[in-house]
Amino acid sequence: MPLPRSRQSGRVIRFGRKELYLPRAVIALTHTPWLPPTQAKFVVPLSFNKLDLRDYLYHVYGVKTMNIRTYIQQQKVQEGKKGELLPGARQWHRPRAIKKMTVEMETPFVWPAQPENWDAWSKDIFSEVSKSYNQTQDQQIEDRKESQKKEADTLEQQAKDLLTGKKKWRPTWVDYGDEKEVERDIKL
Amino acid sequence: MAATPIVRFTWRNCIIPQADTVLSFLAPSFRPVLCTPQTSIAQFSTSARRYARDPNRNRGVSALRHTGPRRRQTLSVKKEDLPKPVLSRKLKTPVKGDPQHGLWGFFNKDRRLIATPEEDLAHGRAWTVQELRQKSWEDLHCLWWICVKERNRLATEKITREQLKAGYGDFEASERDKTIKLTQRAVRHVLTERWYAWEEARKVARDDEEVDLTAEGEAYIPQIDMDEVELDEELIKDEEFAAETAEPAEPQHGRGRSGKTPQTTNGPIASTVTE
Repeated sequence: MPLPRSRQSGRVIRFGRKELYLPRAVIALTHTPWLPPTQAKFVVPLSFNKLDLRDYLYHVYGVKTMNIRTYIQQQKVQEGKKGELLPGARQWHRPRAIKKMTVEMETPFVWPAQPENWDAWSKDIFSEVSKSYNQTQDQQIEDRKESQKKEADTLEQQAKDLLTGKKKWRPTWVDYGDEKEVERDIKL
Repeated sequence: MAATPIVRFTWRNCIIPQADTVLSFLAPSFRPVLCTPQTSIAQFSTSARRYARDPNRNRGVSALRHTGPRRRQTLSVKKEDLPKPVLSRKLKTPVKGDPQHGLWGFFNKDRRLIATPEEDLAHGRAWTVQELRQKSWEDLHCLWWICVKERNRLATEKITREQLKAGYGDFEASERDKTIKLTQRAVRHVLTERWYAWEEARKVARDDEEVDLTAEGEAYIPQIDMDEVELDEELIKDEEFAAETAEPAEPQHGRGRSGKTPQTTNGPIASTVTE
């Protein structure tokens, strides 16, 4: 297989000389219908660079790449600790950024068509379940907001009553009089 | 208005004759002298020269400012002949992809978009360390790369499943991924074991006189007790001669000291190796 050449200069694109026998990196191809068929987008580890991807694609998959664009997608801050199913309050974390690389290839690649029938994946049940799950989530958030508002309203009313003199402030403790020795008969 | 063309005319006439080669390089300095004096116009004028027409016909025509062509400008193409772009995606000619493209490696063997959960779940257990100990480096390396490609496929399909909201299948895929990771761990385990075995052997060989680690000549030169070898040889030859003839044969002592170990003395050499 002839070595890939740069489109601008026509020079042979050289690879690194360090041999890596057991790489652990996992790269994923993503579907990008808005891009021309000669371009492909990959999700790569953050440690990957353009030279790595070019080398990887050529030696593992035999894909010759001309030009590579890189984009690191910063993730939003999320509630709770990392990897928690139920996020705790007042704990925040930012998920690791996602690195995406778009390569320009020599030959076009067309993705396979979508399956006609999604029964094997139970798409209908899945969508129903996720819909109801989302509804429950929303309902829980609404309920929490409502209860918080109720509490705030009560507090506001109490404060107003105190200020207008409708109610008088009283300490919560009760005066039971002086202490009395109950068991006087016992001889020690 | 009529004055200015005359000036231009006079400038054109100021060409020095070509025959006068000597003075040709002095042309600028001679120019005012050779010019015929025009009495009809003023020699000195404080106002700028005014031309009847702008010599640049395309002045003001700019593609950047979208001015369009100038008046009475004829273009090489007509507006009607220009091809119309196809904006609808349905009407566009479908692109033919390369059937031998390397990116098919990110899909399953049937080249379908995503594997079904049943297909992802149809797998056995991971390779154990014990099984892999008997495999060669080539086999282990091959297995590693199969694992890498399979994990890439699973990662690709996971993203596709999320994009299309395809449904279930994440659990099955993650189970498969875990199994692959276990296999990869076993491969690394075996190779680490081998590396330690090699390292230990190297340490032993460093102090061993029989082993040469300089990579010059033979790596292993056994130091055999020559008396033992000779004794063995004697015994074997005695037996051979006894079997063939009744005459007793003289043992050959010179052959045993030649440095090379004879084929018949396998027993003692094997014992030195194990020691």
